[in-house]
Amino acid sequence: MVNPRDRLRPAGRRNPVEAIAQQVTERVVDLLVSALDVNELAARIDLNALLDRVDINRILKQVDLNALLDQVDVNAVLAQVDLKPLLDRVDVNDLVSQVDMDALVERTDLGAVIARSSGGMGTEALDAVRSQAVGLDQFVDRWVQRLLRRKQPAPEAPPKLLPAQVEP
Amino acid sequence: MTVQPAVVSYQGHYAGSVSRFTAYAIDLVVSSAVFSLALAAISYGVHIVTGHNVNWNRSNIVVAVLFVLWQFVYFGYSWAVSGRTFGMAALGIRVVAADGSVLEPRRGVVRALVFPLSFLLFGLGFLGILVQREHRALHDLIAGSAVIYSWDARAARLRFLARQADLAPPP
Repeated sequence: MVNPRDRLRPAGRRNPVEAIAQQVTERVVDLLVSALDVNELAARIDLNALLDRVDINRILKQVDLNALLDQVDVNAVLAQVDLKPLLDRVDVNDLVSQVDMDALVERTDLGAVIARSSGGMGTEALDAVRSQAVGLDQFVDRWVQRLLRRKQPAPEAPPKLLPAQVEP
Repeated sequence: MTVQPAVVSYQGHYAGSVSRFTAYAIDLVVSSAVFSLALAAISYGVHIVTGHNVNWNRSNIVVAVLFVLWQFVYFGYSWAVSGRTFGMAALGIRVVAADGSVLEPRRGVVRALVFPLSFLLFGLGFLGILVQREHRALHDLIAGSAVIYSWDARAARLRFLARQADLAPPP
């Protein structure tokens, strides 16, 4: 903290006129400050305009964030955070729908876990037979549609099982 | 053997002709095998108890009637209870009501009763599976049912990818 009057005092000691001037000045400043409503003055300051003139980036460059964060007890901060309302605002279904399960299974040990826990040769054979049968179904259906010269696409599923209701 | 990515989204869709006929072929083999085993067991039991040998003649009217009754029980019971037979379960298809809801047991029984009608006129009743827009055969139209894919192709796809990942050499 800097006292603006400090600079005047040494000068006052050297010259009696200056000492009187200093006393007058101190008295005037005291009267002025006591007469001022500092809150009203602060309210009149346009902080936005003031902040517009401040180069925040320059200030931030001078801040040692590591030192600052070292002083922060993150656990204490987290302990004060109420996670429930935060999580309530998260759409977990939307989050999960964005996960590429195929890529996840291919890149992680999850694949091995699924492979070991979901049957052996029997399951593999069934999957393959069903998959091939569906492929042939589609092939036959395409040809029948062509032979019958149908232009309107047939319904894919019963009304209650249309895509919106079909299980993922 | 691969699980085609294209089939992943077909769960709940109308099942096609190949899946349905393959399922029916499996059911015919299984139900006939069970019927033959039952006849053999009865013959063995009669032989043990009475000492007489019983030979079941396939042209015997009693055997024919028993076989038809057995077929009705096999298909009717399966459709009424779970909406699927053994063959349908293997192919991952099931019978549902025409609107897609769970098949009522009554409809399952009716479907089994009218199923033979589709064989009449050289199997023309089955043509609906090929040409009808919802792949419904004559017995489906009468019983108010439809056949859909019910297997979880997405899980199958994940299993396939998992096996590939498991077989792949570590990086």
